[in-house]
Amino acid sequence: MKKKKVGIPYALYFYEYYPLWKEFLTRLGVEVVLSRPTNKSILDSGIRSSLSEICLPVKVFYGHVLSLVDQVDYILIPRMVCIEKGAFFCPKIIGLPDMVKSSLSSICPIISPVVDVRKSYGTWKNSLFQVGQLLTENTLAISRAISLSWENFQKNYVAHLLDPKVLRPASLIEGQDSINSKRQWEEKPINIAVVGHDYLIDDSYINLNLIEKLKRMKVNVLTPGMVHPAMVKKQLKKLYKPIFWSLSRKAVGAALYYFENGVEGIIHLTSFECGEDSMVGESIHHQSQKCPEVSYTEFVFDEHTGEAGINTRIEAFLDMIRRKKRIENSLAPSW
Amino acid sequence: MKIALPRLGNIEVMNETIITDMGHELIEIPPNTKRTLDLGVRYAPEYCCLPLKIVLGNFLEALELGAEGLIMAGGWGPCRFGYYAQVQRDILLDLGYDFKMIIIEIPRGNWNMLWENLNILRNGRSWSYFINQFRLGWQKILLMEKLENMVLSVRPREKVRGVSSRILKESMLKIKKAKNREMLKQIETETIHKFDENTDFQKQNLIRIALVGEFYVSLEPFTNHHLEEKLGYMGIEVVRKNTIEAWIGPIMRLKIFKDSFKEEQEIEEAAYPYLAHSVGGEGQTTVGNVVLAHKEGLDGAIQVIPFTCMPEIVAETILKKVSEDLDFPTLTLIYDEQTGEEGLNTRVEAFVDLLKKRRKGVRMSV
Repeated sequence: MKKKKVGIPYALYFYEYYPLWKEFLTRLGVEVVLSRPTNKSILDSGIRSSLSEICLPVKVFYGHVLSLVDQVDYILIPRMVCIEKGAFFCPKIIGLPDMVKSSLSSICPIISPVVDVRKSYGTWKNSLFQVGQLLTENTLAISRAISLSWENFQKNYVAHLLDPKVLRPASLIEGQDSINSKRQWEEKPINIAVVGHDYLIDDSYINLNLIEKLKRMKVNVLTPGMVHPAMVKKQLKKLYKPIFWSLSRKAVGAALYYFENGVEGIIHLTSFECGEDSMVGESIHHQSQKCPEVSYTEFVFDEHTGEAGINTRIEAFLDMIRRKKRIENSLAPSW
Repeated sequence: MKIALPRLGNIEVMNETIITDMGHELIEIPPNTKRTLDLGVRYAPEYCCLPLKIVLGNFLEALELGAEGLIMAGGWGPCRFGYYAQVQRDILLDLGYDFKMIIIEIPRGNWNMLWENLNILRNGRSWSYFINQFRLGWQKILLMEKLENMVLSVRPREKVRGVSSRILKESMLKIKKAKNREMLKQIETETIHKFDENTDFQKQNLIRIALVGEFYVSLEPFTNHHLEEKLGYMGIEVVRKNTIEAWIGPIMRLKIFKDSFKEEQEIEEAAYPYLAHSVGGEGQTTVGNVVLAHKEGLDGAIQVIPFTCMPEIVAETILKKVSEDLDFPTLTLIYDEQTGEEGLNTRVEAFVDLLKKRRKGVRMSV
């Protein structure tokens, strides 16, 4: 029998949950097709098929879905509602399967399990089970695949974040597990934390290769993925009101962590029209005023791909930090 | 304490009942104007939605007048509204104001805060008095809303242009001053009588448009550029789908669980084929209301959205499909801080023309 093919768009929440779905589906004997990293044609087709007012990450998602349509039998778009107590996903992510269905007319069947841990039908196990039932009749195999892949995902979750060979672009991995990382730290005197959603930090096409550029300018780049989830949780307690978006929690917690832990600058990446970022960005900004020794800036990405503007801003930001350091050094007592 | 409440349409009718009568000093925030908007836009994050900016403008004006306590509602997502109070508090604190943010929301674990906030509002009065006043305030809002909904069908039929808006305004002032329910009853009968006197009952079969979309923009006339009046004067009967009653009602009647609210269930069922899950805010309600409006035989629907609203953008995407499937015209108006009105007028007029032609049997592809 021909293997069934399930397509996974390489965008939005799949930057976090791809390992789980990949392992689960592969164990069921299904071929998983991951869309290619974002490129111009993906972005363009996404922009063309979606509303102009919608946020950039969703446009990119549309593009990835369209790039998969001809190659696969099903496309996996889970409806992520709630994965922890007191926090939701963004409304656009909750409505994502419906949005894709209603604006793309010719599309292969969408698999959209509901993940909502508050409801009994929406726990991870049940929604994985539902997906499994669509693909095979062997319930024993499904149960086994669920427990194995879930276990591995849990076990590797922190490891995935810290050493994400699975989905990160090569450049990021290179910097992290290089052999003489200690020497590098000394050679690259500026530590800059880049915070924001994974789908911006890891998508080098959308962020105009920002990470690579920073590295070339002798900057040691730190990302939210390098902060332990327990630290994130601890930092979030400082806020006046807990943040109720799961995907933003990591970014904010990491930003607060870095403010305290000796980085010279923080760059907050946001995308055009991102609703969460407009609010949490303000929270981070508010915190940044309490730590004047850490420079803070915000980069907004949209569908324009002119690189010169971002280059200028990076250079200006780094110049500012370097000058600040120089002045601090020259003011130091010289006995 | 000098307390201020943000503006939302005519919601100020209850301010005296729940603030002044409690022994607080009420800071009356001036009506929303371009200045309110400018103040809000200057200090709010760029991509946050319009209601946050205008309410922030309200607060800034209130603080200029010496307010010490700001009342704001809260929530728990996924719509950004739940986080408004926090962000506004941060912004105002950064600007150096000294005030207390009184956030009224269903607490998650933090019952202390709600207790504390209610006690500030209660100001040492007895609980029974406090609850009584709250109920009276709620009655005022219900009456206000009832009259506002009535005026929507009176306005296109009025004998003298503008008379119904004037009657409404007078009644609002009276409701504001009312001290008990008997007075409210009296105001109601009086106003309805006045409406009847000024209605031309000959006018039948008017074009009816459902007004759906985001809560604040659809209920706040300054923000939506007086859309209801505009349509009314064009001879259109507007059917308002968002009401404060449906928004707070379930809580006021102690039905905290949404599922027990029948109308809401009906709306959800109508939306189900297109949007199977609530997306926060009024996203699913908008889709459901449009489907229901089609069932009820209305001519079209206008969806109003503040720019960057998350749930409504989901709804807008899906409405395109709904409109196609049901052959039901919808118009989406997105409001931002631009205050140019002519563009809006043109679009609304064109939409109304389209509906009129459809009535006559001329089919046009949109």
